[in-house]
Amino acid sequence: MSEQVLEIRTPFHEFEVGFNVIIDLITPGTRVLDLGCGSGTLLARLRDEKDVEGCGVELDQEKVIRCTERGIRVMTLDLDHGLEGFPDLSYEYVVLSRTLQQIINPERLVREMLRVGSKSIIAFPNFANWKIALRYLLTGRTPIVKTFPHPWFNSPDIHRVTISDFRHFIDDIGGKIEKEIFITKDTPGTNIFWPNGRAEWGCFQISAQ
Amino acid sequence: MDQIGVVETQYLQFDGLRLESGGYLGPLTVAYETYGKFNDKRDNAVLVLHALSGDAHAAGLDENGRTGWWDGMIGPGKGIDTNKYFVICSNCLGGCKGTTGPTSINPDTGGAYGRSFPLITIGDMVNVQAMLVEKLGISKLHTVIGGSMGGMQALDWACRYGDRLKSAVVIAATARLSPQGIAFNWVGRNAIRSDPVIPLNQSDSTSSDRKSGRGLAVARMIGHITYLSEETMQAKFGRKRTLRDMDGTTYSLGENEGFGGEFEIESYLQHKGSSFMERFDEDSYIIITKAIDYFDLVRQCGDMVTAVENITAKMFIISFTSDWLYPTSMSMAIVRALQAAKKHVSFVEVDLPYGHDSFLVPQGMPTLTRIVRGFLKGV
Repeated sequence: MSEQVLEIRTPFHEFEVGFNVIIDLITPGTRVLDLGCGSGTLLARLRDEKDVEGCGVELDQEKVIRCTERGIRVMTLDLDHGLEGFPDLSYEYVVLSRTLQQIINPERLVREMLRVGSKSIIAFPNFANWKIALRYLLTGRTPIVKTFPHPWFNSPDIHRVTISDFRHFIDDIGGKIEKEIFITKDTPGTNIFWPNGRAEWGCFQISAQ
Repeated sequence: MDQIGVVETQYLQFDGLRLESGGYLGPLTVAYETYGKFNDKRDNAVLVLHALSGDAHAAGLDENGRTGWWDGMIGPGKGIDTNKYFVICSNCLGGCKGTTGPTSINPDTGGAYGRSFPLITIGDMVNVQAMLVEKLGISKLHTVIGGSMGGMQALDWACRYGDRLKSAVVIAATARLSPQGIAFNWVGRNAIRSDPVIPLNQSDSTSSDRKSGRGLAVARMIGHITYLSEETMQAKFGRKRTLRDMDGTTYSLGENEGFGGEFEIESYLQHKGSSFMERFDEDSYIIITKAIDYFDLVRQCGDMVTAVENITAKMFIISFTSDWLYPTSMSMAIVRALQAAKKHVSFVEVDLPYGHDSFLVPQGMPTLTRIVRGFLKGV
């Protein structure tokens, strides 16, 4: 049986609302480091819409080449090896979108992000969403849903992280949450009722304290 | 025009050059070729830098119909598009393809320099290229690009002439050769030195019969092993035997040159060695490998970050996953220094199986073309 080829991250067109949220957070004319930048779609938009000086980090060769072809500065690096080599506070923003749940050691990477960027923006799927939780509870099996689209035994999403988890985690590592945006049914909101149970995606802007 | 066609190598004369060692070398001839046309602002020039055994003939055909060493990359519509860029490639200082080197006439003696040719550095080669670029009326190059030794030169260019280039592409190179690399070069030079046919005293070193020496061929064979990967050797040759198989009781030590080896890999190396012997000069080989061995930006500047301090060019560092002679870790050392110095740097590790030669083999060209074309456009 041939192994299924996984689409590693939620495709861009399915996360457009998320990208809009991230773009809204970023001040024009700043430097942005996009970790797991894919084909450079976010950085191309940031360059065109916000005059951002961007740099992407990506491991997939085809996507790295796409970035280069689009004139996006890119580096072939494995995020699981951290951000060694990037000087302290060398970017205004470090972005990690749709990737946190796939990093072997998120603590190390997020600490590195706080070191390298003045602000970090992290967007990730929320496993505590009530539909997922309910299915988990009723069927007793790891649900396969839009935000976690792969079966547990063959999935790049090695962490089933929740909004609540993330808040505690940032607190534990001494970071500061500056902004929280929750996406439910393709609609972003900052002050929604019961985000941990209702949000499909969380998008946090954090900084070192 | 969709092909470059036949290109003629051109020559320029210079008074001479103050070498980094302190000596003076002159007069100087530089052999070069150009492809494409200048634009009105003369800011579309791309300087291509060859590796150890390369020459000025990078693209198109020479008068004998021989294709240039990077013809897959340079030409109309190719990675370095000659419809857009004015491309220059010159034979490096110390070479044997038209630029002043050991085979050139020493004005003091009236004979060829031979082994008395002074020790030169990568920096000397770069200084000669800079003289050529200036003479061609270019105040700022669009890009300097090269692989292996050419990549060392591209890096040196960016450090040395910060304001004279907009970007540099450093392919399969290093800021300092590894002891492993030095070791292979040493063995190569030893093969040349040990060759009994070669007279070792300088006055005789240019006599024509020394060309029958096979030391240079052995050096080239060693080189070729280091340019390939285990995977390519396996795929290309495996354990296949040539048709001239041995009978099981006799064997060849490579002593019969026309005969070749038993295994296909042996015949391949034999062929590479023999053809190199015909087209290259052993003193050039010695002088150029010494320059490669000595190249060390860390030693030159104290540390890597200081070495890259004056760089203003956009830097693009490329390595290959299968290159064990100039491995990714060496490219990473350059990248890290550029990052620490807050320079504009891109880095791509290209997944190709062809070893150090990945930037030269036709199979790698489609991937490399997309990368180089994309970068040049974005400069």
